[in-house]
Amino acid sequence: MTSDLHDAVRPAGDEADDGKASRGRAVLGFLRGPGYVASNIRLLMVLIAVSVGFSIARPAFYTSASITNIFVSAVLVLLLALGETYVLISGGIDLSVAGMLALSGMASGYVMNLMYSGSGSAWGVTVIGVLCALAVGLAGGALNGWIISRLRLNSLIVTLGAMGVFTGAASLISNGNPITNFPASTFTLGDGSWGPVPIMVVIAAVAVVIYAFVTRRTRFGLHVYAAGANREALRRAGVSVPLVTIGVFCMSGLAAGLAGFLDTAHFLTASPTAGSNDLLLAVAAVVIGGTPLEGGEGSIVGTVIGALIISVLQNGFVILDVQSYWQLVAVGVVTVAAVYFGERDRISRLFKEK
Amino acid sequence: MTTDDQTRPGVLEVRDVGKSYGAVRALSDVSLTFAPGLTAIVGDNGAGKTTLMKIVAGVHAPTSGQLFLDGEMVSFSSPLSARKAGIEALYQDLALADTLSIAENIFLGRETTSRMFGLRLLDRRRMERAAQEVIGSVGIRMPSARTVVRDLSGGQRQAVALARAIYFNASVLLLDEPTAALGPKETAAFMALIEGIVGRGKTVVMVAHNLTMALGMSKSVAVMRAGRVITQMDSASTTPEELNAFIVGAKDAPSHA
Repeated sequence: MTSDLHDAVRPAGDEADDGKASRGRAVLGFLRGPGYVASNIRLLMVLIAVSVGFSIARPAFYTSASITNIFVSAVLVLLLALGETYVLISGGIDLSVAGMLALSGMASGYVMNLMYSGSGSAWGVTVIGVLCALAVGLAGGALNGWIISRLRLNSLIVTLGAMGVFTGAASLISNGNPITNFPASTFTLGDGSWGPVPIMVVIAAVAVVIYAFVTRRTRFGLHVYAAGANREALRRAGVSVPLVTIGVFCMSGLAAGLAGFLDTAHFLTASPTAGSNDLLLAVAAVVIGGTPLEGGEGSIVGTVIGALIISVLQNGFVILDVQSYWQLVAVGVVTVAAVYFGERDRISRLFKEK
Repeated sequence: MTTDDQTRPGVLEVRDVGKSYGAVRALSDVSLTFAPGLTAIVGDNGAGKTTLMKIVAGVHAPTSGQLFLDGEMVSFSSPLSARKAGIEALYQDLALADTLSIAENIFLGRETTSRMFGLRLLDRRRMERAAQEVIGSVGIRMPSARTVVRDLSGGQRQAVALARAIYFNASVLLLDEPTAALGPKETAAFMALIEGIVGRGKTVVMVAHNLTMALGMSKSVAVMRAGRVITQMDSASTTPEELNAFIVGAKDAPSHA
């Protein structure tokens, strides 16, 4: 009876696995495996291949100044993408991240400008500016999450509306004019370095570690994945799905708030039109990073590599003297290609299973 | 795991329970007692079997009537509160999160955590070890507790859902047509698992379609028709033919109620 029972529950594909297929799997199996580790290794190889390609075409690409530039230009998009990863894993989408970047950047710029006496490094003002940006981001995210879960509305349409609200509000703060004149300490955060490493990159790295840690090691992180995989299962498991949704959009708002402050600090200008292309780039980073739009899967590490791939493409095009408008075209094409390859993987997996 | 097995026999009583959806009456005055052992519930589609299961599992609230667990009146506001009282349900659709591992599915909502820097963090290793153990205890060979549920066969998925239901030492297990999606071989294996659970003195309530199988396994069988309980009898004292007569209404309830 026991052996019967074991037979009955053996995976259906077991017998067919002998021969050619398993030999191939033994050699490069880790690249084809279902886990996120394998897909991240594949992504990393794409990143390296693209970088090497540009380095060969233009050796200037492979200089420390250029590499620093790649990291710095990746920071803002990466921060938006960190929060967007949570939203996509949970099965939703947040179209308001770039609008939030503009709004929080303007809000913190307005407050800092108001408080700054015009001289000195004034760290207190900068700290308040950071807190202000984070608070605006958190509040906007919580509002998104609350409306979506409470009124049971689709996240696409709610955050589309929020994108309009945030972008408009950013302009209303100063009648559409940019705000300038900030303390020196603000610029230190936005453009300073510790040794060879830009402070902005350090801040982004800390955010990456926190966001990755929460997905892998906390109950909330697990519930975010479960919400994307099977909302009803999560509900029956006794978890409050509305709270998970609100938490997810708070994470997205917080990261966008931080990006807003850093944008203001880096350019020493709070501009209501900041981040106008960043929504596409952020979603692209997440999708290239292997998080499917259906949710349930994905990783922060993948998103980091995705953001770096985008940044390498952008900087490579600059160095190759390609007209800058081509950058957006390229990112758009790469994003759709990434979705196509992810979809193909999923379909082939379905066939293998049955 | 809790160890109050002996103090909680798990006798579940449903008393005068009714359920209406607007003008539609799904259940009327249902009274049943489920004792340790397997009770089968049979009846035509729309007889109210699933509605009854959902009320006992805390998914729906009854419009009228009460539930008693070991003589104490209970009322469930959610599936979670039913679970806390020791009632676990295995749903037709299994309610598994496909992209999570076996261990993550078993522990979803009740994760094992450990404290680190004042934070409560997932203790994946402990959950995986415990999951491996409970899977082993139900006699199923599984790849590893880390395997993603999507990669499992139908029978294995069923076993994961069952392992989740029994791990937390429920005294009452509700099964709503648990083998509907399984082949004959997988069904046999699954029913062997259920017999093992019944052997441990649990109360198991199973909604079943296959009358022969239901009678062969159960101690007691209840027949429902049009939202009412027609009869509850000893499985040994009836036949599939008689059950069928009750189900289609060719034979009416012995006039005791």
